[in-house]
Amino acid sequence: MNPERLLLLTVLVPLFSAALAPFLGGGLRARAGWLLAAAFAPGIGLLALAPQARQGRPVEAALAWVPSIDLELAFRADGFSLMFALITSAVGFLILLYAASYLGPGERHGRFYSHLLLFGSAMLGLVLADNLVALLVFWELTSISSFLLIGFWGSRKPSQDGALKALVITALGGLALLAAVVLLALAGGSGRLSGLDAEVLRSSPVFVPAVVLLVIAAFAKSAQVPFHLWLPTAMEAPTPVSAYLHSATMVKAGVVLIAKFGFLLQGTPFTTIILFFGLATLFWGGYLALRQDDLKALLAYSTVSQLGLMMALYGSGHAFAATVHLVNHAAFKAALFLVVGIVDHKAGSRSISALGGLARRLPVTAALAIPAALSMAALPPFGGFISKELFYEGMLHEGLVPIVLALTGSILTFAYSLRFLTVFFGPYRCQNPNVHEARFPFWLPLTPLVAAVLAFGLVPWQDTVAGWFTGLAAPSLGYQGAPLALWHGPSLTLALSVLTWLLGLALFSICAPFNRLQRALTPPWNVNTLYYGSLEALERLAQGVTALTQGASFATHLRFIWLAVAFIGASVLWRFLPVGVEPVPLEVSAVALLILGGVAGVLAAQTRLSALIFTSLAGFGSTLIFVVLRAPDLALTQLLIETVTVILFLSVFRFLPLLTRYSRSRAVAGLDAVIATAVAATVFTLLVAVQTPVAPRIRDFFLENSLPLGGGKNVVNVILVDFRGYDTLGEITVLGIVAVTVIALLRLRAGGKPTVEGSGREDRETT
Amino acid sequence: MELLLPLLAATLIGAGVFLVLSRALIRLILGLSLISYGANLSILLAGAGVARDAPPLLDLAGPHNDPLPQALILTAIVIGFGTTALLLVLAVRAYQATGTDHVQELVERPDPMEPPEVFADPEHPSVSPEIGPAREGPR
Repeated sequence: MNPERLLLLTVLVPLFSAALAPFLGGGLRARAGWLLAAAFAPGIGLLALAPQARQGRPVEAALAWVPSIDLELAFRADGFSLMFALITSAVGFLILLYAASYLGPGERHGRFYSHLLLFGSAMLGLVLADNLVALLVFWELTSISSFLLIGFWGSRKPSQDGALKALVITALGGLALLAAVVLLALAGGSGRLSGLDAEVLRSSPVFVPAVVLLVIAAFAKSAQVPFHLWLPTAMEAPTPVSAYLHSATMVKAGVVLIAKFGFLLQGTPFTTIILFFGLATLFWGGYLALRQDDLKALLAYSTVSQLGLMMALYGSGHAFAATVHLVNHAAFKAALFLVVGIVDHKAGSRSISALGGLARRLPVTAALAIPAALSMAALPPFGGFISKELFYEGMLHEGLVPIVLALTGSILTFAYSLRFLTVFFGPYRCQNPNVHEARFPFWLPLTPLVAAVLAFGLVPWQDTVAGWFTGLAAPSLGYQGAPLALWHGPSLTLALSVLTWLLGLALFSICAPFNRLQRALTPPWNVNTLYYGSLEALERLAQGVTALTQGASFATHLRFIWLAVAFIGASVLWRFLPVGVEPVPLEVSAVALLILGGVAGVLAAQTRLSALIFTSLAGFGSTLIFVVLRAPDLALTQLLIETVTVILFLSVFRFLPLLTRYSRSRAVAGLDAVIATAVAATVFTLLVAVQTPVAPRIRDFFLENSLPLGGGKNVVNVILVDFRGYDTLGEITVLGIVAVTVIALLRLRAGGKPTVEGSGREDRETT
Repeated sequence: MELLLPLLAATLIGAGVFLVLSRALIRLILGLSLISYGANLSILLAGAGVARDAPPLLDLAGPHNDPLPQALILTAIVIGFGTTALLLVLAVRAYQATGTDHVQELVERPDPMEPPEVFADPEHPSVSPEIGPAREGPR
């Protein structure tokens, strides 16, 4: 297959599979996952493009999108994008296999797989996109699919809360990215990422705002302090989603963004800013992770922390170390989440304090969890050790404060990694007495991830999978892929690692008292209180503005509208008053009396029946007016509709209360009368003013063409069904919708609260 | 120029406005009916005044009346009926659900879309005290 087509299929196949998933999910239930996993085959097939990318010759492909404004869906598989696309596809493949065992029989499988594949497609599009607009669109699509997946169990309040929070914060980031993309494209003179000129951009006046916005977008997406609050909440999603979106792929989108735009940042103060935000996130995420009781919450804060580490490394230009850790983290963190899913499934709990000694009952799961957790703890011989060494090496170049922060964060990481493993050791503790190992399709998808964790540590050489993988990104990020090794000989970084293990072990041993200390130090506010507080304040502001502009009450609101009608009309129309009065035909006066009587009757009516009768008197009066004014079709229609309306009213009166005279105070009634009179005066003036024709009539067109073009002699009918046929079609559609709505509303009655008061009063009224 | 029919249309609309500003749902619906009678009449009068020509039926000898406003009004009458029907059923439902036909009381019912009181975040102050190994610790 030619490389361009493969690149397009990588993004498009998951997208089309997402459309297919609801049907497969309906028939095959959870097992659809085994079939749908194949949607990521083209993504894994990108391996074939790797040799080309390693030589710095990226594959490019484009689809026409909006040709009229020169917008195309451009993809570019340079080494880094290719590497991340491979991770996204491979992890996505495993997650779908895993979900087939994870989802219960009663779930909405089609919907789940559809949203997951939509996300997969969006994420692949995001990393491979070269066009800035496409990048933004895919970025937003990942936010939306993340929202849908977090809210998968949407009937639960925490799910709603979590989904909304993730959407609000990542969408804010999306807005920042929109602005950044516009500024960059205008200043850089190209809509393509690969076409942006760093030199031109840096000398542009919009460089600083553009980069600030870019960094905000990246921080919001990758849950950096102070935007970290959405990620732990996102753990309300089903566990395969947490493993895929909220640890291995989507949350890294911000890190990827900083990596891709890294060429703009070199040598600017932004590198320091990102470095310190990243390190702060590393520390704070680890600090909070240590005190979590929920295994998933622990992993969530751990992900926040690790994202901080990657952000710090990419931001400060240590792209090689960052990339090595990115690959490591995707492997061990996805595996750990999947482990939690199995534990949750089998033991029925994710609480560290309620679980213990599970290794005896879940031997395979424990065997898979231990290497992954130890890799997170950065112990040799696992991959995490190598990237932590590189991290220390990079931070040693940055000065004293960064290295101290890095060390503290790593100590916390070591301690919470061990805490994670406590559920497998010690005396057996579990509420569920019947814990037994999962069947092999459940744990099988973890094995490639754990194998990767081991391979990255044990065979890190250039020509093996680990070295090959990180070497892939070398040409596009502009680093020299140094040889990876477990043993570099005695060095300062090794000493720091040993110090990390010792202090981490010490911290782990005093974990319980340390947690109590943490709890005691917790202030009553944090970014969460700020978030909920500002949401509330926003709501209050909106309510205040609404109350101010749209009136405190419904009637007041209407009064303002009618007054505006009266004043605007009157202020314009008095200039157009014509002169000279013509006599009125006698029959018009008679009908007018009828209508005026009807109007007076409605206003004075005390019962709803009389009000209805007087209203229809006015209605039948207008029927007569139509007769007098030579409009037979109108008269017929009005007669029919008036009759049906009266029947309709009479049939629902049974369910409505009597016409209560909610007394308006004298002042209010007077005000309403004034408003009504003012509106009437405006209408009157308007009608008097427009009786003189101002434009040539189009009457003659219809009269002349009705027969030859429309084939009918009743011109009004021809207009309705022919000249303005689409309008009539729309009208019929509206009536159809109304009919359906009316039926639906009436059906609701069965489930609602039936009130018998109405019918009781009705009897008294009619008798 | 002719004054009686404009006066009639204006009266219908004015009375309709007065009823719409009322507090009882039924009056509001009837008021809207009156407004639509007035509006239909206004369309017919606009640009023409009192028509004295033949109806727009080609079998009759000309000159004919303008057929376009008539076609527009025909649509308006039917749509007006749809609106009335929907409003009536809504009124019935609202009364059954709330036990009131007072417009303002209906408006002031609490919004069923309340913000969630249950927070998903393990670090939210409302959640934190209940979880974690520090459960028995000092607060």
